[in-house]
Amino acid sequence: MRLLDDTPMDPEVAAALDAIDSTLAGEAVDPQYAELAELALLLADDRPRVDPVFAHTLDERVSGRFGGAAREAERPSGRSSWSRWMAGGAAATLAAAVVAVFVFLAGVDHGGSSSASSSAASSGVSSAASSSSGRPAQELSAPSRASSGAASGSADSAASSQAAAPTATSPSGQTPQPQSNGRKTIQSAQLNLATAPSRVDDVAQEAFNVIGQENGIVNRSSVTQTGSADGNAFMQLSVPSSSLAETMTKLSQLTYAKVASRTDNSQDVNNQYIQAKRRLADAQALRTSLLKQLANAVTTEQVDSLKAQIRDAERSISSYEASLAALNHRIAYSNISLTIFAGAQPPVTPTHHSSGGFTLGKAAHDAGRVLVVVAGVLLIGLAVLLPVAVIAGLAWWVGGMVTHRRRERALDLA
Amino acid sequence: MNRFPRRSKGVTGTVATPDQGAQQTSWERFEQLYRSSRDDVFAYVATLLGDRSTAEDVTEVAFERAYRRRRTFDRRRGEERAWLFGIARNAALDELRRRKRHATLVVDPEDPSADGPDDGAEVALARTMVRQALATLPAREREIIALKFHAGLSNAELARVLGVSESNAGTLLHRTMEKLRKACNATA
Repeated sequence: MRLLDDTPMDPEVAAALDAIDSTLAGEAVDPQYAELAELALLLADDRPRVDPVFAHTLDERVSGRFGGAAREAERPSGRSSWSRWMAGGAAATLAAAVVAVFVFLAGVDHGGSSSASSSAASSGVSSAASSSSGRPAQELSAPSRASSGAASGSADSAASSQAAAPTATSPSGQTPQPQSNGRKTIQSAQLNLATAPSRVDDVAQEAFNVIGQENGIVNRSSVTQTGSADGNAFMQLSVPSSSLAETMTKLSQLTYAKVASRTDNSQDVNNQYIQAKRRLADAQALRTSLLKQLANAVTTEQVDSLKAQIRDAERSISSYEASLAALNHRIAYSNISLTIFAGAQPPVTPTHHSSGGFTLGKAAHDAGRVLVVVAGVLLIGLAVLLPVAVIAGLAWWVGGMVTHRRRERALDLA
Repeated sequence: MNRFPRRSKGVTGTVATPDQGAQQTSWERFEQLYRSSRDDVFAYVATLLGDRSTAEDVTEVAFERAYRRRRTFDRRRGEERAWLFGIARNAALDELRRRKRHATLVVDPEDPSADGPDDGAEVALARTMVRQALATLPAREREIIALKFHAGLSNAELARVLGVSESNAGTLLHRTMEKLRKACNATA
């Protein structure tokens, strides 16, 4: 029945409506609309009238504002309700931002404390290393120096400069290591350090000192100090596998260097080791057996043949022993490839000097990070709230449409 | 009885009047609206529902809703009377929905006191005839009659309450009147 188009009104219809309005206004109408006017008057006069008692009751209810402000507070108007929703959303977003900032700051604090603990750990390691540094450092280093040519690191200098080496306070640089579980493994590592162009020598010397402390070997080294950005140093090092982690930690915490990259490798050679030992044992057993047979040999041919077999067995034994010894050495000593280069942004000052100070730059940096975190939280909050708001708006609109249709249907069915 | 505004004809100019509503508080505006519309709202609802008792409840609900939403009234979207009757209409239709759910049809018995004391027999007969004819109309058409003749809405207000254009509202009213007139003649 509802007409949605807005077509111009028929003049006859407009005239009839005018006649109705005139009649209701108490004015005379054209006689042709007399019947319509009479009907309009009858309808207007027949309007239901309000019962005085109800009128009085309703007047009182209105005067009392339908139960007062308390009831109104229970059912806020749409606009104030919307305002409360907005305020609630803003408060929730603010709370989330504050929580995020606290979490961020707590994370920073936690990082600081872990740095301190690693510093303490490294101190302990240093003392432990120094207590055992008198032992085979020199004899282990001696052959390596002979073969290294230009190697500039020495156990002597390491030992002498050990006390002067500043304590590193940077993060420990521990990396995940597989559990050995008693299995034989070959370990190696690569470490790239960045430093200031004028500090390449210092860092290289520090590295040599660390290797000396850990009873390691400088297999090969090359240090080029130019004072400019092309200064570099390269070292091929061996350290006892038991102290590899400790050595890497110390090398990662050198005073004037910053770790650019670090790689730790591990290879399980347990089966290879067992097979080598078994082959050696078999060869030794064969030789023992051949020696017994030789003792019982009676003819020259038998003796010659057995001696030849024994020689073969001894060669095999020697070969197997050499293989096993090489494998044992690879297991016992881990190779470290250390590269030191003049980085673009080397640490200006040792980290332990700047760890506790409060400067305007640091404050600005922290403030910037806090703002970034807050902006991120707000963005995430917006990303969450926007779809929710769209869905809520859609649900509200659909609900309104459904209610409207139900009401109209109820009118049609009445 | 000059409650019914005439439709404007031959208007050549307008006179701007200060908006007094802007100086009134929302409560004062509501109270004024209540005083001017209480009887009209009741008459409309009672005609639509055909039950005076329920009409009283619905009228109260309508004014209470209007009171709660008085701050949301936007003058740019129409006059306050049309806004109020929109609320009353929704309240009445909610009541119709509730009735449908409860499957009860409550219609007031004929109220003999509704006839005016001064009515002659001929007028009383005509009124009865109109009532009977009105009862034969669908609720939607009864609603148009109620809004126009019992609530006293102008055609523009009628259009706003029904959510149609003014010309459509006029056309609907005219059709309904024609139908009612024929029904009266048939009853006679």
